[in-house]
Amino acid sequence: MSAPSLARTSFVRNRPWLQKWLQPMAEWYKNAAGYRQLGLKADDLIPEENDVVQLALKRLPPKEAYDRVFRLRRAFQCSVSHQLLPKEEWTKPEEDDLYLTKIIDQVEAEMKERDDLEAMVIEKRKTNAASH
Amino acid sequence: MFSRSTSCRAAQRAIRQQAARPAQRRGLAAPASGSFQYQSGEAKGVKFACRDFAGPTTTLALVSKAGTRYQPLPGLTEGLQNYAFRNTERRSTLRIVREAELLGAELTSYHTRESLVLEAKFLRDDLPYFVELLGEVASSTKFEPHVYNEEVVPLIHFAHKHFLASPTDMAINSAHSLAFHRGLGNPTASASVTPYTKYLDPATIEYYSKIAYAKPNFAIVANGAQHEDLSSWVNQFFDNVPSTVEVQPGLAGTEQTKYYGGEERIAHASGNAFVIGFTGSSSFTGKFYKPEIAVLGSLLGGQSSIKWSDGFTLLSGAKASPGTYVKTTSAIYSDAGLLYTIIAGEATNVAKTAEASVGVIKKVAAGEITKEQFQKAKAAAKFKELEFGQNIKAGLELTGAGLVSGDKPYQIDEVAKAIDGVSEESVKAAAKTLLETKASVSAVGDLFVLPYAEELGLTV
Repeated sequence: MSAPSLARTSFVRNRPWLQKWLQPMAEWYKNAAGYRQLGLKADDLIPEENDVVQLALKRLPPKEAYDRVFRLRRAFQCSVSHQLLPKEEWTKPEEDDLYLTKIIDQVEAEMKERDDLEAMVIEKRKTNAASH
Repeated sequence: MFSRSTSCRAAQRAIRQQAARPAQRRGLAAPASGSFQYQSGEAKGVKFACRDFAGPTTTLALVSKAGTRYQPLPGLTEGLQNYAFRNTERRSTLRIVREAELLGAELTSYHTRESLVLEAKFLRDDLPYFVELLGEVASSTKFEPHVYNEEVVPLIHFAHKHFLASPTDMAINSAHSLAFHRGLGNPTASASVTPYTKYLDPATIEYYSKIAYAKPNFAIVANGAQHEDLSSWVNQFFDNVPSTVEVQPGLAGTEQTKYYGGEERIAHASGNAFVIGFTGSSSFTGKFYKPEIAVLGSLLGGQSSIKWSDGFTLLSGAKASPGTYVKTTSAIYSDAGLLYTIIAGEATNVAKTAEASVGVIKKVAAGEITKEQFQKAKAAAKFKELEFGQNIKAGLELTGAGLVSGDKPYQIDEVAKAIDGVSEESVKAAAKTLLETKASVSAVGDLFVLPYAEELGLTV
């Protein structure tokens, strides 16, 4: 993944007690980070200056790509004018979905598969090896 | 010790025997001349045919009744063709390609007017792997939008560009659309960008795949596989394809093809092509099979089969310059056919040759051909047919199409027999009917020079 995240590691997810303990803290942190007040989603903050995310952005459905650009421009305007959006336009927690992460995972899986195949060591099949 | 003459004779005999029986071993039950014979069968509703060449390689194909003729919307066949061997539920495109490479195999997909063919060539031992792969492609390809945008559309676009740049392709497709209008007349590549910008999207292609890969609509054909093996593997790997055609969308292209004829002229800057087409013969597996059309086609000809010579054919004698390309093809489809002559080259030469070729057909109709020429044409037609049978690619497609549409494989030996039975009179009669029916004439290139059908004395 292009941005480090504690929640995406299985370390936390595999320990229900830990997740239960960390979840409220994570919620608090997300609100405190301030991106929701600018109308952004968490996935809008992923650094996009690399091949993986560039490819993932290309694969976004047209509507989602349009919405993303809209959110970014609105946030930029807010930032320039040192203002927050009116409260009803803040991103609600249920809207804050991982629309880009899904695609990034897919792209990364593809790249990993390619690397794995490149690194493969090939052995002759037993039947063939015997006859040649 | 053998005396010298005996050993020599033995060697000669060995060579002769080898020549008579090329590298094919037949089982006792098979007829002696039956090397081209396909054995057909059915496993869980999937039709298959195979012949057992004793070579070390196998060619396996899934032939689906999903060529451009049957597409309900333009471009669907091409879309489906380019989605073949892409991401499936179980494997990614890359893995399919790499695994095939490791096994030393070749994977291709192509389409003709009537069939969509997914083909794999590989070493004989790998049969189960590739039957499974074809089953997987047919049943569980993921029609993902990003694959469509990144891989499928660019390929369709290239085919479109290629089509536009080739006057001969344009002329042949134009003649087909004149002759058959919809169905068989659909162009094999997109003639404009409209089909794939307006009608095509992954969901539509997926919908079409459910029709194309439904059990009654495709057949598995193998060259170089044993009947029992193929039967058991097909039995095992085609459980997940739809067993009936789910949707009945008026079933585009399934109605009996009708011949229309007409004339079309297309301006083109990069070459000249002229096609004169007439109603022809259906495939041997179809209902309108006329062997005399094949003989007439090879009599008109235009291409030489030997080096340093124009050949015996009437058109190669009649063409205006040695650089002019002339070829007569009897295009056979399941329920109709088109006998067409294509002329390409410099505009004035094309015009002259077109005029000469109509003259030649009139001559044949009037019976002004020698017996010798007729014999040559018959022999050439028969040879072409038999060679066609040895040409694995052609055999695969025709056999698959025959199985799907008529429940019988394309048996080359019988076709050759039919050609043997053609008489001189029937060829003359065929030529006469050609001139009486409407022609399909298409001119692509320098329209100032290329003649109208009217000027050639053809009815359109």
